[in-house]
Amino acid sequence: MIFSTELLIQTVISGLMVGVLYALMALGITFIYSIVKTINWAMGEFYMIGSYIQFVAVHFLLGPRWWWLAALISMAGTFLIGLLLEPILIKPMYSRPMQRRDDYATVVTIALLLLLRSLAVALGGPYQYRPESDLSVIWIGPLPQEGARVAASVCALLALAAFWIVIKKTWIGLALRAAAQNRIAVQTSGVDVYRLDAVAFAIGVALAGLAGALLAPLFMVFPTNGAVTSVKGFEIIVIGGLGSIPGALIGGLLLGLVESLGAAFISSPYQNVYGFLLVILILIVKPNGLFGERGREA
Amino acid sequence: MTASATLEVTDLNAGYVPGVDILSHLSITAAKNAVTLIIGPNGAGKSTLLRAIFGLLKPSTGRVVFDGKDVTGANPSTLKASGVSYVTQDINSFPLLTVEENLLMGAWVFRRDAPRIARQFEQVYAMFPILKEKRRDRAGSLSGGQGRMLSVAREMMTSPSLLLIDEPTVGLAPNLVAQVYETLAAARAATGAAVLLVEQNVEEALPLADHLYLLNLGQVKAHGPGREFDNARVRALVQECLLG
Repeated sequence: MIFSTELLIQTVISGLMVGVLYALMALGITFIYSIVKTINWAMGEFYMIGSYIQFVAVHFLLGPRWWWLAALISMAGTFLIGLLLEPILIKPMYSRPMQRRDDYATVVTIALLLLLRSLAVALGGPYQYRPESDLSVIWIGPLPQEGARVAASVCALLALAAFWIVIKKTWIGLALRAAAQNRIAVQTSGVDVYRLDAVAFAIGVALAGLAGALLAPLFMVFPTNGAVTSVKGFEIIVIGGLGSIPGALIGGLLLGLVESLGAAFISSPYQNVYGFLLVILILIVKPNGLFGERGREA
Repeated sequence: MTASATLEVTDLNAGYVPGVDILSHLSITAAKNAVTLIIGPNGAGKSTLLRAIFGLLKPSTGRVVFDGKDVTGANPSTLKASGVSYVTQDINSFPLLTVEENLLMGAWVFRRDAPRIARQFEQVYAMFPILKEKRRDRAGSLSGGQGRMLSVAREMMTSPSLLLIDEPTVGLAPNLVAQVYETLAAARAATGAAVLLVEQNVEEALPLADHLYLLNLGQVKAHGPGREFDNARVRALVQECLLG
């Protein structure tokens, strides 16, 4: 491998660009955990649903020019699916007397993962699809970047900014931040905590759906396409710390960078290994993750 | 329902595990502008009663009527919107939010009514001036006494007509106990709310009680006007409960 400054800069930029998208996924996982106190193992399947909606919207309905509208529809679609599924699947964890809540949530979300994957195979077959993209190569200085990749990263950044505004500047955001700290106090304040759980779950899966939609032209659309991305999401959670929003963002960027640098300067077939090496390193140096809490209950 | 009763609980059964009731056919009332004190040994079901009234625990049978409306098994959000506030045992705040944001959460049920929010802030800050001073501080940085004050203040943001208060002085240093009671007295004087107070610290709470219920094993063991009970009588009754 010949080292050059141009290659380094290009690698860093492309690592950060994919890192923002990983961060979107990790943010969804960590956000759901911080409010509902459960890990949604079916997160990758919401990514997959987002990518399918994107494909159908671009290929059959809107055309490649309207890819951004399709991405918004994918996000809204996964949000609605989350909003409908949470009261059926996750709510009983709190609304009924239950001794092993974590076990319940794990079994239910893994069952959901299998159901959604099977549904995708049943409806679309085991094939790979790709929504058309007419975005041309974009030059950042002297360096070329794939148009779809740049567009996806910019949209992911916009989504992160919108998320920040909702969380910091709205009543629902205040209630969500409050619920992450004290579920009882949220209830004594008069918030319908079950409805809040459903909204938090829907926002979390909508972030995954958006990531799926934005990455669809690059990583393709097929029933198990969410598996790799959700594994990366969980890697980021380990790196950044479970329940930490800054951890999800920084962790996402770090993972993107490490993968990209490793692929460019060491060996590209091992791209996925570098992330795991980073995870192992973090576990040794800071077992709770960069921004993680000291421990979790139960 | 008695004319002055704000809250009437009739024949209530409730528990945490299906088939195992902590409260057994329990009936109490709480009157307007009065403190109803609930005492009893550990495990008598005092806190469970408050949780069942506020909807954090669904009763298996029985009725909870508040201001003439049946609210049995209603969600906490419904109870809160109809004028019930629940002050839990420990500091019940959002440690990473500022004092002001904590109080804002107390205004959740009327969040679209900006003038009312401003009025309630004024009222609560007049009641607890130290919270105004510390409004930009994180709740987690407050002292123990101030933390409890914030928990009470947040529940006062709705000007409730019924306050459920669970052992407000448990685990507090003696000098803070007086401070908490002052806080509660100020809160009650400002709103004229009915107060249902669960307390282990009988000596401190007894002088406040207009009516008293002694619970044991989820049932009412004795009740009557507060003036009919003194420390010696309460001690004897609790001893009876403990020794069977």
